[in-house]
Amino acid sequence: MNPLIPLMVIVPIICALFLNLLHKKDRTIKIIAIILALILPALPILANYGLHYFGGYAPLIENPSLGTDLPSLITGTALNTFHPAITYSFQSAQKLFVFILGLVGLLAVFTSLFETRRPSGVYGYMMFMGIAAITAVLLTDDIFNLYVFFEIAALATVGIVLVSNIKGNYETALKYMILGGIAAPMLLLGVALLLGVTGNVNITDIIYSLKNGLVNPQSPVLLMACGLIVFGWLYGSGLPPFHTIKSAVYSKALPSGAALIQAFSVFTFIALGVIILRIFSYLPFSQWVILGVSLLAMILGITMAILQTDLRRMIGFLAVGELGYIGIGLGLGTVFGITAGLFQAVNEVVITAFLFIGFGTVLYQTGISDTRKLGGMMVRNPKVALLVLLAGFAMAGVPPLNAFQSKLMLIQASINAGLPELGVIMILLSIVTFMTFMKAFHAVFLRPKPADLEIKNENIPKATIIALLVFLVVCIVFGLFPQVVTSYLQPLATNLGGVV
Amino acid sequence: MIIDTQIASLFTAVAMIVIGIFAAAFLDNLIKKVIGLAFIGDGVNLFLISMGYKAGGIVYIYLPGMASEWFSQNASYPLPFAMVLTSIVIGASTMAVMLGIIIVLYKKHGSIKASKILGE
Repeated sequence: MNPLIPLMVIVPIICALFLNLLHKKDRTIKIIAIILALILPALPILANYGLHYFGGYAPLIENPSLGTDLPSLITGTALNTFHPAITYSFQSAQKLFVFILGLVGLLAVFTSLFETRRPSGVYGYMMFMGIAAITAVLLTDDIFNLYVFFEIAALATVGIVLVSNIKGNYETALKYMILGGIAAPMLLLGVALLLGVTGNVNITDIIYSLKNGLVNPQSPVLLMACGLIVFGWLYGSGLPPFHTIKSAVYSKALPSGAALIQAFSVFTFIALGVIILRIFSYLPFSQWVILGVSLLAMILGITMAILQTDLRRMIGFLAVGELGYIGIGLGLGTVFGITAGLFQAVNEVVITAFLFIGFGTVLYQTGISDTRKLGGMMVRNPKVALLVLLAGFAMAGVPPLNAFQSKLMLIQASINAGLPELGVIMILLSIVTFMTFMKAFHAVFLRPKPADLEIKNENIPKATIIALLVFLVVCIVFGLFPQVVTSYLQPLATNLGGVV
Repeated sequence: MIIDTQIASLFTAVAMIVIGIFAAAFLDNLIKKVIGLAFIGDGVNLFLISMGYKAGGIVYIYLPGMASEWFSQNASYPLPFAMVLTSIVIGASTMAVMLGIIIVLYKKHGSIKASKILGE
């Protein structure tokens, strides 16, 4: 067992608790938050691949000495192979996902600490708690444990919105919680139905039961469980019909918080999407459901982004649209398609955070995110404008940046899967994404400065510029060397592609 | 005819969930909405507990003198109970946050009507 695997969840939780305790001790918060945030991306790099059984309870088949006093009802049946404890699985894909989450977390924390005069311990608490929850969602092989951390992530998201102190944040947080109050129990009900049918909440064991005839895979109860888990998935990741509230949540958070919340959404999307594929791939329509929902998210997200005049809302809708690309990759079900989808997920997390923090500089300087009231920012900060422009290019899929590679792979995968129509739609929507971004970029940076626009903060903190540069480097490296990323994703895609 | 305990619990759970969804979706009072959400959560918890029910079973506490074979055949399934305990804690914390937000919104708007505060 590798002790570093649980530490990936435990460390951010401890960070969160420390920061909460140290609230109002500004200097201490800054130092501790930076040191602890640096550990976040380091842990997955240092950890070895493997499984971690909480309490040390491995399946009896792996540790027969534990079963010496147990009845044959347990030791002599399939129960022997089942996982009695909560199990965390850390493989190459998880390594990459947790590293990217840690990196975005580090840069978000770093930015937030220097953009506010008095760093808030509570804000730091919410950020670290969310990171811990999403790390657990990515690592766990236990669907109930996933639900628990899914709820904690939702609470952390609400917390980030509340602490951001932006007009209308309480109303948006309450709306999000009311919807979550329906969607999350539905996810739990799906878990309960799975438990009722299979007697298990460990995903590997559920799949074992389905494949080895221990339960009837055609049971209508399983169909209902699938529907309920998909409903929770839609809420957690902000897919339609929850896309409007999710983008509203982004718009009511500080840019650093929004950058982190979108990472939560993407990784929840991936974690639950992979689970749906693993458990329910035998259902002929499961792929079509994922494809349909993703297509809808892509079209609705990107078309609604054009209409927005609020920068954060626009990026929020673009982020929803980009989720659709990931879903298309997963829904295609081929190894190449799934690899492309997962690659797109990694790219989206980085690019959307890049955009949120990039456009966040405008909010920092002016306090305004309405594009109709902005202009002339290029003259003030040509370097930041260039960085934001490159972030927009990356999102639209302009070569040689990272999303170009993943979107190209997705288009190739859709053609290979006999669905070239999807490729055409993806190209068209990438063009619309580019137009939407350029429209906002023109309004903020290129248009003459409105006479009544007041600059509240002249200088952008160096920490923010460093964060933007790091994001740019990641975009370029992933764009020039896509095999660096895809080699980590290939094993998971091969496993999933084998079952779909 | 006496209805089976498990079936009765499942029906009650479904009824609670349906009532909760109705309240959360259609009632204008935010507190009533939250009560509706609590109904949904409790309904799901009851559903989970029902999954662990075993007719004629015993509580899953292994006492000295019990034969392990007999215990494993007669004890109810403990996993759903452990899950419900966690679920209750999550539900309570979620509700506390929601009620806290409603208090702030009430101070701000002077009302707890969803149509006024949330613009529905």
